[in-house]
Amino acid sequence: MRNRQRLAAVLVTVGILAVGCGGDDDSGGSGNGGDSTGGGASEITIALGSEPTSLDPYLVDDGGERAINDNIYETLLTRTPEGELAPGLATELPTQVDDTTWEFKLQENVTFHDGSPFNADSVVASVERIVRLVSEAQTDLDGFFGSITGATKVDDTTVRITTAESDGVLPARMYWLKMIPASAADAEDLSDDPVGTGPYKFGSYQPGSSITLEVNEDYWGDAPDIETVNYEFVTEAGTRLAGLKSGQYDLITNLAPQDVDEAPAFAEIQGQEHPIIILNADAGITADPNVRKALNLAVDKEAIVEQVYGGYAAVDPGQLLSESIVGFNEDLEAYPYDPDEAKSLIEEAGVAGETITLVGESSGRWLNDRELVEAVASYWTEAGLNVDLQTPGFDEYLDVLFDRDTRADAIFVSSSNDLLDADRQLSTFYQAGGIGASNSDEELAALIDQARAELDPEARAPLYNEAVQLAYDQAYFVWLVNNKDLYGLSERIEWTPRVDSKLLVKEMSITG
Amino acid sequence: MGRYIAKRLAQGLLVIAGVTVFVFVVTRMVGDPVKFMLPLSATEEQREARRAELGFDRPIPEQFVDFLGDLTRLDLGESTYVRNQPALDVALDYLPRTFQLVAFGMLIAVLGAVPLGILAARKPGSLVDRSLTTLSLVGLSVPQFFVGFVLLILFTVQLRWFESGPGPWQKNLVLPAVCLALPAIGRLAMVVRSAMIDELNTQYVKVAKAKGLSQTRVVAVHALRNAAIPFVTLFGWEVIRAFAGYTVVVETVFNWNGLGFMAVQAIENNDFFLIQAIVFVVAVLVVVISLLIDISYKLIDPRVKLG
Repeated sequence: MRNRQRLAAVLVTVGILAVGCGGDDDSGGSGNGGDSTGGGASEITIALGSEPTSLDPYLVDDGGERAINDNIYETLLTRTPEGELAPGLATELPTQVDDTTWEFKLQENVTFHDGSPFNADSVVASVERIVRLVSEAQTDLDGFFGSITGATKVDDTTVRITTAESDGVLPARMYWLKMIPASAADAEDLSDDPVGTGPYKFGSYQPGSSITLEVNEDYWGDAPDIETVNYEFVTEAGTRLAGLKSGQYDLITNLAPQDVDEAPAFAEIQGQEHPIIILNADAGITADPNVRKALNLAVDKEAIVEQVYGGYAAVDPGQLLSESIVGFNEDLEAYPYDPDEAKSLIEEAGVAGETITLVGESSGRWLNDRELVEAVASYWTEAGLNVDLQTPGFDEYLDVLFDRDTRADAIFVSSSNDLLDADRQLSTFYQAGGIGASNSDEELAALIDQARAELDPEARAPLYNEAVQLAYDQAYFVWLVNNKDLYGLSERIEWTPRVDSKLLVKEMSITG
Repeated sequence: MGRYIAKRLAQGLLVIAGVTVFVFVVTRMVGDPVKFMLPLSATEEQREARRAELGFDRPIPEQFVDFLGDLTRLDLGESTYVRNQPALDVALDYLPRTFQLVAFGMLIAVLGAVPLGILAARKPGSLVDRSLTTLSLVGLSVPQFFVGFVLLILFTVQLRWFESGPGPWQKNLVLPAVCLALPAIGRLAMVVRSAMIDELNTQYVKVAKAKGLSQTRVVAVHALRNAAIPFVTLFGWEVIRAFAGYTVVVETVFNWNGLGFMAVQAIENNDFFLIQAIVFVVAVLVVVISLLIDISYKLIDPRVKLG
């Protein structure tokens, strides 16, 4: 009797649960006509992976901030979708007055959202604000703008910007410095009320939830198609995808390779992200160039592209620079996958069976980074080494990466390139003394200095070609892949992604 | 009563101060926010300059004295993650979303638990009672992150009844609130059940029944009121646990970006100031809620003496 009662109780419980779960028979995937996306036809919603940590473009280096402010503010120079520098608020590329002075000609009849004019005074104010914030250590963008010393007005539409030393990167820097009204020069923080010259005006901000931008009716350029854009902040990739599938979002960032088939539509482009392994060229078994070569030969990069990144990556041809960057060396080819040669090089060097430390991280900071270092570790084990794979949390990992006194044998890092200029990546990871560099190659360091100081873009490229060739021959890194940027799209939005990964709403349109 | 409240508030202040100081010590021991503020490519000199700018280069005791001084003015410093904003303002900006979630979740919990508990108590040991008890056990023992994902898949991806993410509350708050409510329903229903069983077996209920009062009236007017004290105790505890822990999980799973979500960001980025501010806000909430529970005893049962 008791048993029967218990059984019945369990059955009733299961029944209730089953009723609760019922009704999902016509499972999803089909027929999401974007019906639930709010507002009119020219309103879109974009899901970003993170909320901006500030809306002041002068303070933080933050993808969420850029995704929004790139539509509110404009810069003197822009880039084409393929990555080439082009005029923006300046009418042409800058000319050199002398080694440390550049002259920009400005667009006329451009106004800020608050009605104030864009002219030489606003450029001077913008430059002076960033110079002040750098000197006060208030900005995270020191590395972007630290070389700039000031700006002077020549006339209303001509301005000169000066640098401490001769700086070939300056045009690229002016693709990054957003122009603010002259009245904002002394502002401590512009987060509350972003005012730019861009195609969209700041609308409203609900912390934790969303930001809304409205089209700027008085925009000086071509009128954009979309009138209102909402940004929502959705950390979980799965939640972003669910929202895209349900028609809630029109565009989501960082679509995971394994989710591509699930998205109603998607877009891909060869981006700037390069996961690499930094080898310690100064000490340990990796001090031997043949061992470093062996570590490259041992890894099957093609297999990593397929298995770790689902095919959405390209093998890095041994240089950390993407094809879209000035200085990309077209003659380099990735070290081939040659496990036998790797094994014999390791044996010849007399280090077979020795321990090599490989440090990655475990917080998932970069796409599938843990799977990547695990794959590399197993290839190295096959080549005859004893791999000590360490994957601490991000905090501890940074301590290893930044430790200038003792460099680990091999450190994983994923490097991006915001300015689309070779200097930042090379001076950080290639140049001796850089925060992520593990070599003391003076010739390489001198080449990077020389390329930075070279003002003629035509002459800079060969110097970088030479620098990356030198590092390739020395195998200072194990180059792996260059990721593709993946975006999930709704069926009604039309947009082609850019190599600089900017989300410019003026380049988007709605169909149907 | 007035004296009692004053005494409890004084004790509460001590608790809040103690917790805040404890957090100061712990955060200063674990790490360095500057590592997370600057881009990877920043040089060591740039990091040093930022540390100096933020005052982290000074001796800890000196920082502590300043911290105590600022605390008396309710100045908990500026967040390093939500750049330049006063940390307490950031916490208070995100509190309303957590408030909505907890209020809605607890409303669902009460509306669910009370009828279920009464239903189960009316015939202890019956099929209904056993089924409800089992369900309650399931509700309170399945981890919230799991229930959360099940709800998400079912109701947003498959059925599309609701949306997920930080959007408008009408569409996006239901699922996280249900997820937050489920374990509370389980625990609260059990308390209602056992308190009701006790009450329904007392002499006064039997007399009331003998007098010919309807079952509904006996339960709703007499027994329920007397069963309220253990219920309120546990309910208060549920609210406290929701604010001080459960919302962290639920907000993260459903992307309902409130105080719990912000706490995760603050910790991941070693934002000392924001961690302190969030702990401070939660500590104040806990003290206030505890006091409200005590006062409610008196309101429910005038025989209760406070103090």
